[in-house]
Amino acid sequence: MEQPEIELEQIAAVVESRTPVRKLVRWVAGIRASVHTKLLAAFLVVTLLFIVMAGVSLRTLVGTTRQAQLLDEAHEQVSWAQEGEQALARQMHYTDLALLSQSEAAISKILRENNRFNDMLAKLETAGVVEQQQLDQVRASQDEAMAVVADIANAIRDGKIGTVTGELLRRQERLDGEISSRVGMLVDAQRTRMSRLRENVNDANRRALVLTSVFGLAAVVLALFCGFVISWSFILPVREAHKFLDEVAAGNFRGRVRVPNRDEFGLLADRMNHMTEELGRFDREQRRAAAELARLNDQLEQTSKAKSEFLANMSHELRTPMNAILGFTEMLIDGLYGDVPQALKEPLADIQMNGRHLLRLINDVLDLSKIEAGRMELALGEYSVREIVDIAQLSLRSLAAEKGLEFLTDVPDGLPPAYGDSTRLTQCLMNLAGNAIKFTKRGRVEIGVRLDGDQLTYRVADTGIGIPKEELENVFKEFRQVDATVTREFGGTGLGLSITKKFVEMHGGRIWAESELRKGSTFIFTIPLRVKGDGA
Amino acid sequence: MSEKTVLYVEDNEYNRKIVRQLFKTTSYKLIEAVDGEDGVALAQKELPNLILMDVQLPKMSGLDATKLLKADVRTSHIPVIVITSFALSGDRERAAEAGATSYLAKPYSPRELLALVREQLPES
Repeated sequence: MEQPEIELEQIAAVVESRTPVRKLVRWVAGIRASVHTKLLAAFLVVTLLFIVMAGVSLRTLVGTTRQAQLLDEAHEQVSWAQEGEQALARQMHYTDLALLSQSEAAISKILRENNRFNDMLAKLETAGVVEQQQLDQVRASQDEAMAVVADIANAIRDGKIGTVTGELLRRQERLDGEISSRVGMLVDAQRTRMSRLRENVNDANRRALVLTSVFGLAAVVLALFCGFVISWSFILPVREAHKFLDEVAAGNFRGRVRVPNRDEFGLLADRMNHMTEELGRFDREQRRAAAELARLNDQLEQTSKAKSEFLANMSHELRTPMNAILGFTEMLIDGLYGDVPQALKEPLADIQMNGRHLLRLINDVLDLSKIEAGRMELALGEYSVREIVDIAQLSLRSLAAEKGLEFLTDVPDGLPPAYGDSTRLTQCLMNLAGNAIKFTKRGRVEIGVRLDGDQLTYRVADTGIGIPKEELENVFKEFRQVDATVTREFGGTGLGLSITKKFVEMHGGRIWAESELRKGSTFIFTIPLRVKGDGA
Repeated sequence: MSEKTVLYVEDNEYNRKIVRQLFKTTSYKLIEAVDGEDGVALAQKELPNLILMDVQLPKMSGLDATKLLKADVRTSHIPVIVITSFALSGDRERAAEAGATSYLAKPYSPRELLALVREQLPES
């Protein structure tokens, strides 16, 4: 698979360099015609060339046949000339014989041979292959020879042959030589013509072979060239598109693909450019939006930080007057400013109770805000489970006693030291146990702990009013008490469970409630015995 | 000198008034400072027997002031009770780190404050 790849690259380098091939390829690409039409045209050109080649071959074949026919005719004519020559020789022989034997018998034989000779001359004349002058000369000599024969015949008949023999022999011998040489020339001429014709045929054959080869080769080369140019006129835009798409994929939407093609590839390039323009627009919009988002995010972070600082400051600002209000109230009640008149005792107690309630509300709201802002961090450390349960019980013991409730704890002996945020876990237990006391009129409240493997399960159970099934999941939402009258009757911030749930989850634990109306509720949360992480 | 001196460093006038009122019922002598720098200077000058140090103070935080006092040989032996408004996890650790002897979260009950002071510095 590697090899063709490299070859293609090498060819591409040639095609894309400044050569006439490049110009041609670009010209073909620029022809305003469909790919289909271009391919069809190329095939037609090649087909046309093959047709021309076939025509040329056919014409050469016809020519060669004609030459061969001429050769055959020449061959026949040579044999006629040779026959004539032989007839002449016999005629001469019989003439000599007539003179020597002085008999008339030979004369008829001479005439027969003469006829044959004349036939030969007539054939050659009809064929039109012998010069008339040459023929006339032969005929003149022959006529003279026949005149000698007539003289011989007359002399024999008159019986005067003995006296004229010598003279007739001389004449006969002169004519003999003359005719023989003329006929010999004629035969030679025919032979020469024949060999010339033979050479012509050979030449024609050679030419035909060369012509056919040249046309065949030209057709093949042209076909290959057409194929090369056309295919490259398609490959070039595809390669351009390839490079271009790589760039687009790399995130450069400013580039445009430029191809010389004015066919389907040209249209495709136009579409790609259009698409890239759109992509670029989307990209710019998206970037703008992202920048805007980042700016908003920055702003939000700043705001969040400001909010966090504000909360920290508010915490101080709110607690400082609360400290004064609660401090002065307590000192009033404790009689530091003198004895308290009986009529003022109740309103002072009301101020203190409501002050404490307001403080709890402030603490819860601040805690929750901190949790929501993600600014709440756990302070992890070693703690004793028994200790935090005891702290919760001690803090709430008087409250339970006031309502005449039993308040029990059940912590097994020998629990290993736990790891977590003891302050927050104490807060969770106090929230749950505080609620339990609040919603229980008689009976008992119990905090129980169990260790299962590496997980602690805390249970806070009461024998109070219970929670309807459909409200069990909602109790952990902010400001969610079963109904408004409950808030009025039992007090509370409505935030305790929500905060408790957040703290439990920050410890990697889970909290849920089980309840039966008028029988009581149990809140259960599980946390790892040893919490992982640094509390962040 | 049998009279025991307690330094209260606190910027809020009402909170100082509470402690002032509270200490009227005791034999402690109360001296007051309104910011961290003032508190350190007064502690070094008067060498009180106990210091109540608020955390959130102008000029210098109560924790920094505590660190300074603990680093000074003249004042390093004086017990410091740190009072913070941020009843947050980790405040106790930070207070201990700065060298505080004890820790009290605001809002405190005057009763509890007095009990803690008496625990650290019994009245004669």
